[in-house]
Amino acid sequence: MTYNLRLIETLSLIMIITSVAAVESHNLRRAATAYCIQALLICGLILAFAVGNPALYIWAAVALATKAIITPWLLLHYISRTGDEEVRAIIGFGPSVLLASALLIASYSLTHRYVHFLAPTPEAAQGAFRTNLAVSMTVFALGLYAILSRRDAIKTVIGLCLLENAIHLSLVSLAPEMRETALVGIATEVVITIALLLYVIDGIRQELGTTDTFELSELHW
Amino acid sequence: MHEVPSGLLIAICVVPAALALVTYPLARAARPLGPILNLLGAVLTAALAVPLALGAMQGQVLVAVSRELRADALSALLVLVISFVSLATAVYAFPYMRLELLLNRAGRDAGPEARSRRLATFYALSLAFLATMVWACVTNNIIMLYVSVEASTIASGLLVAFYWDRRSLEAGYKYLLLLTVGIAFALFGCVFLYASAAPYVSEAAGVRAMLISDLPQVAVHIPRGIALLIMGFFIVGFGTKAGLAPFHPWLPDAHAEAPSPVSALLSGVMIKMAIYALARTLSIFFPVAAYHPVSLFLVVLAAFTMLLGGVMCLAQDDLKRLLAYSSVSQIGYIAMAIGIVGLGFGQTTGYLAGYGGLFHLLNHALSKAALFLAVGAIIYTTAGRRMSELSGLARRMPVTGVAFFVAAFAISGMPPFNGFWSKLTIYMAAAKAELWWALGIAIATSLLTLVAFVRAGYRVFWSEGDADLAEAEPRDAPVAMLLPMGVLAGLGVLIGVYPQSGYPLLDPAARALASIF
Repeated sequence: MTYNLRLIETLSLIMIITSVAAVESHNLRRAATAYCIQALLICGLILAFAVGNPALYIWAAVALATKAIITPWLLLHYISRTGDEEVRAIIGFGPSVLLASALLIASYSLTHRYVHFLAPTPEAAQGAFRTNLAVSMTVFALGLYAILSRRDAIKTVIGLCLLENAIHLSLVSLAPEMRETALVGIATEVVITIALLLYVIDGIRQELGTTDTFELSELHW
Repeated sequence: MHEVPSGLLIAICVVPAALALVTYPLARAARPLGPILNLLGAVLTAALAVPLALGAMQGQVLVAVSRELRADALSALLVLVISFVSLATAVYAFPYMRLELLLNRAGRDAGPEARSRRLATFYALSLAFLATMVWACVTNNIIMLYVSVEASTIASGLLVAFYWDRRSLEAGYKYLLLLTVGIAFALFGCVFLYASAAPYVSEAAGVRAMLISDLPQVAVHIPRGIALLIMGFFIVGFGTKAGLAPFHPWLPDAHAEAPSPVSALLSGVMIKMAIYALARTLSIFFPVAAYHPVSLFLVVLAAFTMLLGGVMCLAQDDLKRLLAYSSVSQIGYIAMAIGIVGLGFGQTTGYLAGYGGLFHLLNHALSKAALFLAVGAIIYTTAGRRMSELSGLARRMPVTGVAFFVAAFAISGMPPFNGFWSKLTIYMAAAKAELWWALGIAIATSLLTLVAFVRAGYRVFWSEGDADLAEAEPRDAPVAMLLPMGVLAGLGVLIGVYPQSGYPLLDPAARALASIF
């Protein structure tokens, strides 16, 4: 099986950059755009892997429809109601970029070096699959970081989107022979969850006049 | 144990799902149809669950759709519990969801149009919630297990945020976000498990890496590091959904802010479905000795969960939050039992722990659902739910009072109620495994629970505070609310007096959990 390794690694690297852009951009519209570019990169990556496994063309189509079209549309639709500026995060821009970079380097180098603890099969620990797995873990860590450190509810949803992209990427490397029904099930649920979350957040905005999660303080203990 | 192909499994998933689809348009067209269709769905599901359970008692394992769906005694027990608690809440919802006071809680937009839309959504989602929970308990596909568990989150998200006010929106946001993030970990676990098992299975021999029932055969081949990682992912993922501390912060908010029939479902059965998913996936690795440390980790986590939940119970003023924290605490007992099964102390201890855990799962489902329905009845008649606002309700609401105390004593593990026997079985298993610290924490937590419930019950039903409330004419909730509450609490007494009555189903279920064939 000959994969275009250089292409896969380039796409993976840009994926990490788009994650950082999506997390660190204070403009929600730009963050959503970064997320959309990342979704397109995933489609590109899946297509690059599809050389060895034609079933992946369906995956690419599903990813394109759910991640690159519907989800960004939903995000932009709700952002147009709340306004483009994100509610200020807990951590300032400078320290946050530093923290995200540290997280990125640590998680990428650790997962890439100690891939044997992660890779369920010998193939998954080699070549493009190895890069993919490490990128997937890094994007997952960045998504989790966004959810934990951001006050803006829409930004936490973007973090969740990154998390789900990471899972999708690892599915490609680990379980490419998985049935389409399972894949479509996973992809559809992600979109529905994000739509529901944005709907609830819009309710919060109408009720509280803000999407600042710090204002959600009625329920304690 | 023989596998029997049966259409029953397809029917039990499809019937409530199909009714969910037609309920919204029909309930919009004619408002009374909403609760009727909801009840119909619950009755049909319960009617299908009975032959499933009877078959399981005779050692049958039903399969369908080329073994994608599979129900052994463990699945049958869960399906039976889920469908009967759903039936109780469907009856209860008739008067409860008509209450003007509650429907107006949303204030602003509760015009007739908005109300009709909201109620139709409520009943459609209730049925969808039931369908997804049943599906999660009968699916045999490791990826579909994730899909169905997440589907139950999606179906219940808007039920939690039903009132659409500040508090319920906050609860709904936390519920959807935290559960989706948590379950993402479980998906990683499922995918890793599938991928690591795939090289060792031969499709020719009829073994498939996708099928949970086939995975134990290959579990021993999975590299140790990966297996530990997978089990960790399952504990975080399904543990979040089950409400294990420290992944529980969504639970008290969601269970307290949802309408009472939904709270009864969330606390009564949804977290049980999650603990089932955890038990089902972890038990794949139970026979392998190398993985016992993970089970010990689960026991530690469970002990922490029960103690934290018990302590937090004492700090509550809101009755529904008290019940929610008590659910956190009681799920700790079930998780501890499952952990002891996996510790590998031999078949007797494993069986005892499995039996105790599943018995407690059944008892907690009945009693906690009864408690949430009782508190719902208090909200229905007094519009209050804070202990500090309530007093002397015993004369006014005698049936609710009795049901509350019976269920509260059952949950605290007092004889002669059902919870006593299940907790005793778990204590015995912990003692056999020589986990004295866990046993100590479990007994101490039971005492904390008892204190919290007696304090709350005394304050609400007997204390003399507000003279108006105490001297008002007896006016308990409507019969349609008292009946399901009374039946659930009464079943607790019945099982308490005849603890062997659950044996025919619990025995094969515990064997399935402890991998004793």
